[in-house]
Amino acid sequence: MSNIYSLVILESMLLNPLTLHLPKTSLEAARLYKELEDSKVLAGGTFLLNSMKLLKTKGTKTAKNILSLSKVEELKGVSIEGDTLSIKAMTRINELLEFPLPEGHLKILHTVCTNISTNPIRNMATVGGNLTCRYTWTEMGAVMIALDAQMHFLGPDGKEEIISPEEFFKNAARSEKLFTHVTIKTQKTARTAYRRVKKTVHVDVPSLALCLKTEIKDKKWYNTRIGINNGVAFAQRDPILEEFLNKSTSSPNLGKEALEHLTTAIYDTRSSDYKKHIFRISLKSAIEELAKT
Amino acid sequence: MDATFTINKKLITVNLKGNETLLEVLRDYLSLTGTKTACQESECGTCTVMINGKANLSCITLAANVQGEEITTIEGLAQGDVLHPVQQAFIEHGSVQCGFCIPGMIMSSVALLEKNPTPTQTEIEYALDGNICRCAGYPKIFEAVHDAGKKLVSMRAQKKHGPNS
Repeated sequence: MSNIYSLVILESMLLNPLTLHLPKTSLEAARLYKELEDSKVLAGGTFLLNSMKLLKTKGTKTAKNILSLSKVEELKGVSIEGDTLSIKAMTRINELLEFPLPEGHLKILHTVCTNISTNPIRNMATVGGNLTCRYTWTEMGAVMIALDAQMHFLGPDGKEEIISPEEFFKNAARSEKLFTHVTIKTQKTARTAYRRVKKTVHVDVPSLALCLKTEIKDKKWYNTRIGINNGVAFAQRDPILEEFLNKSTSSPNLGKEALEHLTTAIYDTRSSDYKKHIFRISLKSAIEELAKT
Repeated sequence: MDATFTINKKLITVNLKGNETLLEVLRDYLSLTGTKTACQESECGTCTVMINGKANLSCITLAANVQGEEITTIEGLAQGDVLHPVQQAFIEHGSVQCGFCIPGMIMSSVALLEKNPTPTQTEIEYALDGNICRCAGYPKIFEAVHDAGKKLVSMRAQKKHGPNS
């Protein structure tokens, strides 16, 4: 009887055999990240475990070593010191949503978090996971690019490396070091807008995410940064549109005019005319929202 | 590996393999089959349990990863023969049709009401957005959550000020 019971359990396994590593400090985690072969980092698990299950059903090999960061307390929490917001890698989306962000452009992070997936997913998924999972459709990358954030990584030697999200995503979201946290400077005069379109009502996979940050003085736009995730490539900036907006003044037609100044390759990689259209109207409405302020 | 959890307020040690999900451990090892298994890919919410008071999906939780945490399943809500106010409200409002989504719905509702016993309709819909009811019985479910919230507020007031308050 006990043999039958064992067989049933084995049959019901959702994941291939793996070794789970549970470091307790970020340095230990950074060392394991460097040392472990055939490994994946487990943050919230909402991307990784689903993809591992899917690969198993297809009979595909999955990572033998899973490096879980769940017990590394140093990697958890949100804080503000002076003018800098710090979000640790293992901060859950709902924790960021509940954190009292200062008034101003950083409030956009609440809008971003509110629109991510479903409540249990927001309780589990982490900011670090969203940024580093190497899925091209996650939304935080575009937001961090627009907010001019800095991504902090820890090497196995304990040395920290800081790079911009733009560089990180240009490098296809790869790093040999462990992502620990992201920092963002508060900017009193900056304004932000965010748009996210999901695939269908029930399938919460973003088709696009875009975030605009700008400063407007006497209706003139300057220091504009636009982070875009088209779902095909990793998050990127639109330099042509930024240049246009930085020479512009707010007007009711600005959104429409801006559509003539796009780095079209970013928007036209989408497969259908409908998606290309959605991209443009989202961008237009985000610009119009900022132009009204 | 031996992993210890607090499941429904009981300390339980289970010998685990690294790849076992919490859902498998609850259902297959501990026979806590009130937690349902359906999509197994974090879409439907039937496997919702509470981990440290928050609604989590047990199908995408590695059991070994949550050792040491406090886990509550649908079996842990009632006190003896007395149902949890949310369970009672679901019965009173006829919120159960086929019933398959209900344990997950109840766990998400309890997690919400623990934090916010007087939620608005929008807050309820937002908190339960990860739980799909294929019978589309949402109106009765939302009614039950509203009502359970009121009962919880009244119970807390009674506990604080005595039964005559």
